[in-house]
Amino acid sequence: MDFFRSIGISEPVFQFMLVNALLGLSVYLTLITGMFSLANAGFMAIGAFTGAILTQTFGLPLIVGLIGGMIAGGLVAIPVGLPVLRLRDIYLAIATIGFGEIVRIALLNVDQVASSIVGERVVITGGALGIKQIPKMAETWHLLLLLALAVYFIWRLQKSRFGRAMAAVRQDERAAANMGINVVYVKNIVFIFSAMLAAAAGVMSAHLTRIISPTDFGFNQAVDILAFAVLGGTSTAFGPIVGAFLLTALPEVLRFTNEYRGIINGAILLLVIIYLPGGLVNPEGWRRTWRRFRPAQGEASVNVG
Amino acid sequence: MLRKTAALLGLSALLITPTLAFAQDDAPTMGSDIAEACPAPANISGAIPVGAIFTISGAASVYGGSQQAAVQLAVDQINDWGFLGDGNSINILFEDSASENEQAIAAMTKLVDEDQVVAVIGPTLSREAFSADPVAQDAGVVVLGVSNTANGITDMGDFVFRNSLPEASVIPGTVADSVSELGITSAGLLYGNDDDFTVSGYEVMLSELSDAGVSIVGEETFAAGDTDFNAQLTNLIGANPDAIFVSALAAEATPIIQQARSLGYTGPIVGGNGFNSPAVLSQTGEDSNGLIVGAAWNGSSTNPLSTAFVEAFSEATGNPPDQFAAQAYTGAWLIASAIRCADSTDRAAIRDSLASLPEIETPLGLFTFDEDRNPVHPSITQVAQDGVFLPLISEEEPAS
Repeated sequence: MDFFRSIGISEPVFQFMLVNALLGLSVYLTLITGMFSLANAGFMAIGAFTGAILTQTFGLPLIVGLIGGMIAGGLVAIPVGLPVLRLRDIYLAIATIGFGEIVRIALLNVDQVASSIVGERVVITGGALGIKQIPKMAETWHLLLLLALAVYFIWRLQKSRFGRAMAAVRQDERAAANMGINVVYVKNIVFIFSAMLAAAAGVMSAHLTRIISPTDFGFNQAVDILAFAVLGGTSTAFGPIVGAFLLTALPEVLRFTNEYRGIINGAILLLVIIYLPGGLVNPEGWRRTWRRFRPAQGEASVNVG
Repeated sequence: MLRKTAALLGLSALLITPTLAFAQDDAPTMGSDIAEACPAPANISGAIPVGAIFTISGAASVYGGSQQAAVQLAVDQINDWGFLGDGNSINILFEDSASENEQAIAAMTKLVDEDQVVAVIGPTLSREAFSADPVAQDAGVVVLGVSNTANGITDMGDFVFRNSLPEASVIPGTVADSVSELGITSAGLLYGNDDDFTVSGYEVMLSELSDAGVSIVGEETFAAGDTDFNAQLTNLIGANPDAIFVSALAAEATPIIQQARSLGYTGPIVGGNGFNSPAVLSQTGEDSNGLIVGAAWNGSSTNPLSTAFVEAFSEATGNPPDQFAAQAYTGAWLIASAIRCADSTDRAAIRDSLASLPEIETPLGLFTFDEDRNPVHPSITQVAQDGVFLPLISEEEPAS
């Protein structure tokens, strides 16, 4: 522990690494089903606000906030997923970015709308001010347990019949449908799982940072989450976890470089992307890089198997 | 000892003829009253670690850079003087929050646990403070916000201080001064509704205007990043108000002024801190005539410590300081003063010392903390005239 602290990974940093690992897994679920979704930041916001309202406004324990946030995320995912998941590739990405914006703007304005209906000033999400002084309820062991459960769940899911269907949908939707797989069902269920995982991460994150505002969950956050999976690789569930760990810990470990921090951080990430295009956790990519002088780009960049 | 005498001489010279004090090279005039009130520390020795967390990178990096330069300037002055006793110095440790709450927490944890600082200056943003200040509070370390203006910052605990006047403390003075000076009886309001700073500014404006008996003839909103305000301004101008009150950040300030003028509005525009920038004036040129801005500090201040600070900061960085620099500079001196008067590096002793500092002359004016560890010093209402800010009323009203 002392070693980690001495290189800059204190307990709060480790906690954010674990939260981000959950977010990485949530985007991993959609990616391995062939869905390029950027909705995770929006679901994270829904989880964070639901959880914070339950624990702070109603004084309920964290576990209620966590379950409440996950249910809220999952429920919102149903009406969103049904129309949106008909889109593919970049069109799905654009539609899910739109969803993230809708969540952000809804959270900004829900108080005004509620106030005008009730006729007096109502504070639910706090508008632009957000919710502050949230109790710091999340502990490291909560997060470790949550991450372990998520990994176990995903591991079992991928080994199941449903998991095979997910892989089939990723490889070819039409072929999967011809084999009798209900593509719409598979995609929507995975989307709901992914939303619930992102919402869980949102609840935990709110109870670590103690303040949330709608702008924390904008487009930048959506891209950050995607980066966890892209950098770590999507060959296995450990890819997004390693990616999240690295992206969260690296700026802290590099604090000793002072004003060069941003440059060195960026350079390291660039090297990873150039030499390990399939992500960090990708044996094939390492082998390829090991045999130097062979072009490292090319087919490996789409290696999401 | 020689330096101290020189400083005291500098102070007396400053009281008689301000110009004489400026002629002295690097004479630290700041802190002279504390030097008199508290003897040089005898029980501390060596380099005293003090942390500072600013947004050196990220979305709010425009503030952090100027804050860091100002704190560095203050620390250099303090150490050159030997303000904390001969051979003692402040070892200032800057940490970057990258404008992110998570990194602010990590930086605070590092400073408090690893570097064992006796006090922390910052973090820059109010939301970072809400995330990171509890870490310092739990560890019993003074944290002094130098740019946190949101409500409830010091409610986080008795180790949390700030020297930045909240908008809520500046705007009442601005509204009162402009209403009384210009005889305003009706007002239109324009504000950004998706930012905590602009929304809280609007709320204070609204209640102060209502209290002053000014009728609100129109309210319009915009979102951060908007560039076209013609629709909102047309509605407001159509209602024919005596003045338009605007709560906006610096990025929106310039186009709002320009578009209001090009729509033919010639009356006063009253703004909050977002308008308090030389850049807004230079970008808007003649259009900014009649712009009224309240601020905790402005470079036009004639306070001798303020003009000395402007000169020293410009010399050190090549740029004139903004309000954030003045507040950060004052903050570093406040921490040094608390350490000197505590004559201890004990974290709790420094807290008590900071809370009970005597009134101290600073670039922000005569400064003290109230019982809730919020700042008390005069705010200033200024009017833009031909590209410079001038005081709207010659005497400065104290704000709480």
